[in-house]
Amino acid sequence: MWLATAAGASPLLVAAVFIGFRQAPAGISSPEAGEAYSQTQPILFPHDTHAGQFTIDCQYCHFSAERSVDAGIPPVALCMGCHLVGVVGGRTERAQAEIAKVREYYDSGTPIPWKRIYKVSDHVKFPHMRHVAAGVTCQTCHGQVQEMAVLEEVAPEAADLRMGWCVSCHLERGASRDCTVCHY
Amino acid sequence: MSDGLGRRDFLKIVGVGGAGAAVAGCSTDKVERLIPYVVPPEEVTPGVATWYSSTCGECASGCGIRVRTREGRAVMIEGNPGHPASRGGLCSRGVSALQGLYDPDRVAAPLRAGAGGFEAIAWDEALALLAEKLGTGGRSLFVTGRKGPAEGRLLDRFVDGVDGDRVIHDPLDDSALRAAVDIAFGVRALPRYDIAAADLLVSFGADFLETWISPVSFAADFAAMHAADHGEKGRFVFVGPRLSLTGQNADEWIPARAGSEALVALALAGELVRRGADAGPYSEMVSRYALEDAADAAGVEPEALGELAGRFAAGGALALGPGLAGHHQGATAANLAVLILNVAAGSLGRTLHIRAAPETEASSYAAIDGAIAAMRSGTYGVAVVSGTNPAYSLPRGSGFAEAFAAVPFKVAFATALDETSALADLVLPDAHPLESWGDGLSHGAREGADRRVATYAVRQPVMRPVPVYDSRPMSDVLLETGRRLGHDYGAATFQEYLRAAHDARLAEAGFAGDPDASWRELLRAGSADYPDPSPAVGALQAPAVAVDFRVPFLRGDGDLTLLVHPSPRFGDGTHSNRPWLQELPDPVSKVMWQSWVEMNPATAAGLGLRSGDMVRVATEHGEAELRVWAYPGIREDAVAIAMGGGHTAYGRFANGNGVNPMTLLPVAVDGASGTLALVSTRARVDATGAWRRLASTEGSSDQDDRNVAPAVALSALGHAAAEAESDHHGKVRELQEAGGFRRVETEGRAEDYPLPGSDFGEYAEDHPRWAMAIDLDRCTGCGACVTACQAENNIPWVGENQALMGREMHWLRLERYYETVDASHSGPLDIRFLPMLCQHCNNAPCEPVCPVFAAYHTPDGLNAQAYNRCVGTRYCANNCPYKVRVFNWYRYTSENIPEPMNWQFNPDVTVRDNGVMEKCTFCVQRIREAGNRAALEGREVRDGEVRPACQTVCPAEVIAFGNVKDPDSRVAALARDERSYRVLDAFINTQPAVHYLKKVTHHDVDEGGH
Repeated sequence: MWLATAAGASPLLVAAVFIGFRQAPAGISSPEAGEAYSQTQPILFPHDTHAGQFTIDCQYCHFSAERSVDAGIPPVALCMGCHLVGVVGGRTERAQAEIAKVREYYDSGTPIPWKRIYKVSDHVKFPHMRHVAAGVTCQTCHGQVQEMAVLEEVAPEAADLRMGWCVSCHLERGASRDCTVCHY
Repeated sequence: MSDGLGRRDFLKIVGVGGAGAAVAGCSTDKVERLIPYVVPPEEVTPGVATWYSSTCGECASGCGIRVRTREGRAVMIEGNPGHPASRGGLCSRGVSALQGLYDPDRVAAPLRAGAGGFEAIAWDEALALLAEKLGTGGRSLFVTGRKGPAEGRLLDRFVDGVDGDRVIHDPLDDSALRAAVDIAFGVRALPRYDIAAADLLVSFGADFLETWISPVSFAADFAAMHAADHGEKGRFVFVGPRLSLTGQNADEWIPARAGSEALVALALAGELVRRGADAGPYSEMVSRYALEDAADAAGVEPEALGELAGRFAAGGALALGPGLAGHHQGATAANLAVLILNVAAGSLGRTLHIRAAPETEASSYAAIDGAIAAMRSGTYGVAVVSGTNPAYSLPRGSGFAEAFAAVPFKVAFATALDETSALADLVLPDAHPLESWGDGLSHGAREGADRRVATYAVRQPVMRPVPVYDSRPMSDVLLETGRRLGHDYGAATFQEYLRAAHDARLAEAGFAGDPDASWRELLRAGSADYPDPSPAVGALQAPAVAVDFRVPFLRGDGDLTLLVHPSPRFGDGTHSNRPWLQELPDPVSKVMWQSWVEMNPATAAGLGLRSGDMVRVATEHGEAELRVWAYPGIREDAVAIAMGGGHTAYGRFANGNGVNPMTLLPVAVDGASGTLALVSTRARVDATGAWRRLASTEGSSDQDDRNVAPAVALSALGHAAAEAESDHHGKVRELQEAGGFRRVETEGRAEDYPLPGSDFGEYAEDHPRWAMAIDLDRCTGCGACVTACQAENNIPWVGENQALMGREMHWLRLERYYETVDASHSGPLDIRFLPMLCQHCNNAPCEPVCPVFAAYHTPDGLNAQAYNRCVGTRYCANNCPYKVRVFNWYRYTSENIPEPMNWQFNPDVTVRDNGVMEKCTFCVQRIREAGNRAALEGREVRDGEVRPACQTVCPAEVIAFGNVKDPDSRVAALARDERSYRVLDAFINTQPAVHYLKKVTHHDVDEGGH
């Protein structure tokens, strides 16, 4: 590989280091490798329920998308804002089981080890806030997330987030096509 | 290629043919985790940097710093512009604190010495052991470095509590100067120098731009005093046997013999008294010193001293020195003589202020010698060492290591093991200054109308302790141990202790406001002024002790004086285990990773030696083998070796590199102050017959008529128009007539763009044109910019072996050219510095030769390098006339940078590894960040909003950056300056975006072709 994995490529990993891992509490199964990638999230978080059915704004959870290069992965405490015991507990047994996992993570002070679905290469900078400010919807790149029970990369072009796809949008919208806008 | 099969698709098919599975583009199938916070820290927004104000802990200067953190990790250190002393500047050592923080050789857990070496133990066990030994293990001795005021006070209270003794060892503390001030003025304090207010600055060897007292603030003052401004420019004269980096900045050099400073200063004072000046109680004494005698002792021309006396008589003078490198057995006398000269020249109260102020002072060597003797005689049952490394930085003859090893129980508070802590029985991993609370006092603040003399600065942790190291701050360990021993210091943690001290200070000052708000403001700003009520001293007092001003006796029978001096990169050797500093070319010699002995070329020729020859340097006390580096800036009767090399037990980057000159020195002490003398012996130099290459980045010290770094005489300033068409560089004409290049006339004005004849300078209307201005008249050549660049841009180091092959990765280097350097006569000195970086040429030679369009020009004027396009042909580097493109030949990044040093990587900059060409980007990540911010706020980027890393640390404000198309920008104003020129532009029409401003000399210079 020419370009070493940047420390900054997944800055949120850093957070974990400083919080410090503890042993995952009993009852939380770690998903096995080999299963379908998107199916093996530690918690089966239904985007369709949250963003679709309850029309929660994307940026309620991905809170830094409009002011940072990173959209932000919601802290577990944010989940607990709604899912405190006795508040929103889930209507189905399955949902209740998943929400129980969230509480378990929170109570044990363990971050939820989400599997990353979207990733641009290390030599690409994608400033979320500029795209949000320009009126590009989240769905443009991430697909109809509000309809997905299980988050998946959308097919075909956006799926692998190739440069040609970025450039065509930049062309359409009259955004800069200079290399150093994204590559530095 | 057939229809429908593009180049990329073809390459992809070829690439994955055997694997049987197509992996598209750059995507990866590696499972990666997104780890959220459980509870988010309030001040952290992912992807947005958080800055903390703090105080640099790398030396006792206490400069203000601002630390950039991303997601809880420190990634960059810049100067704090609000700090009254350092004023936004920083040095290489300060920036390299990041590598001390993420040092892979840090101690990971408390260690206890066992039969088979150190064994890791738990903190509880370590603390219990420490308390037990301090409680019942016999009398204890604490050997520490200079600490901040609060930590020092806590340490003293703790030492009292356990009935111990404390000595403070810091080879970089100028105790001879303190002693001299005490004799002269009856105040034990360092003088306050107002360099910026001086018209004539004379250094008797003091390295005030490198390691002496407060180099960063002095550099800012020096630039203010020495830079040409409205036809005026201060004059700097260096008196001493060797041109240090500070000396290289002088306008005149009087190469006085080592040890003659006192006689020269007294003779100058005597001459002033003979002309009617007053030196108080010393008037009669100094008038007996004649210039001729002093010139004879110093080995210089009497006329040169006469001329200097005349300059002193003109007023506005300030004399400094002799500083650390000049410490010999008459150090106090020499310092006293320079103080007397200042008084005779009328400097007291103008450029020199004497005032009692709180200071942290190191113990004299005499006190340390007493402690060594007591350790040897078994007085102490416990010895504690912290923040100092006497086993390395004292001469062997001191017997420190043996005496320390003989103490029954030795404790070391250390971030990393060094020569002293390796001898300990118990090693307690100390927190790095960036991880701990503390405070500092700075002395560099200019004496202003408000008479501020002391700046109190607070140090706050900028991140949680690096989690792979189980470290604790010494101050917290002391508090905990005190608790176990039944002592009460009124605070559970050092943070509380510091806060209590702050509240006490507020109460003392009669502060009526909210102490919480005051504390928060202190943390935000980083420092606060404490107006000092003690009055300034106005006159010399009669000496209470007899002082011997004679040239001190040198031991040994060699014919060369051995000059040992602190290193501008490593100080006393504390900073040797930092690869950034090891690879930073020494500002004087441009040598990396190695030690060398400096020798005048005439001396070398006399011995049949040339640069790179291995020699044996021998004194009565030791010998060392090292390379010769022929240096015209040293007297023929002296050789010099920098401190900081030859570590044996410090870390992977320091061990085995170079030679520790302290092993050559005898224990020789300045009687009046007890200071250890660094200039005390003669040395013999013998060839060994071997030659080894110097790992040097110095291509040439001669400009070879290219006039890369031209200068202009002060007297010629303001006459630029007249000379404009005087013999306009025959060489350019020749080139042009030979069909080489067509010259495009431009002075960098906004309306000149796009330039006629340029195919690459077509900048769109709505884009800025980024450009840089570098004022060579202010540059001191210190190299802080080089280290800052390396830190900001994830630049790896190559190591000694690769450096020996001429490979380097620095995006920015400092060229140093000799114009006039003559160690055999006093006279004008002209050494020029030139920070060389990618010139971002409009007409860039690198761009058209790239077969894959990796090197290209952006619409906003950057010469960009698209790493993911680069295939490593290196044509661009071959075609670059400035030699600023560097190629990563091996896995310098992934293999040279160990965990956790790579935690320092800037997440905003791509990490490159082998096979990729790279170079200065004008810190494009900062340009884009500012652009993003401006776009969100619906405005243009403001002038001065984008500051490249090199600019942010420069103490002398050499560098300006901005949009040259905006006529009101600072960079455009500088580009229009009459001193402005662009390197090689006149020869090859590259039309760089970097505008240099010529150095201004007092003497006439041949301005050559610009």
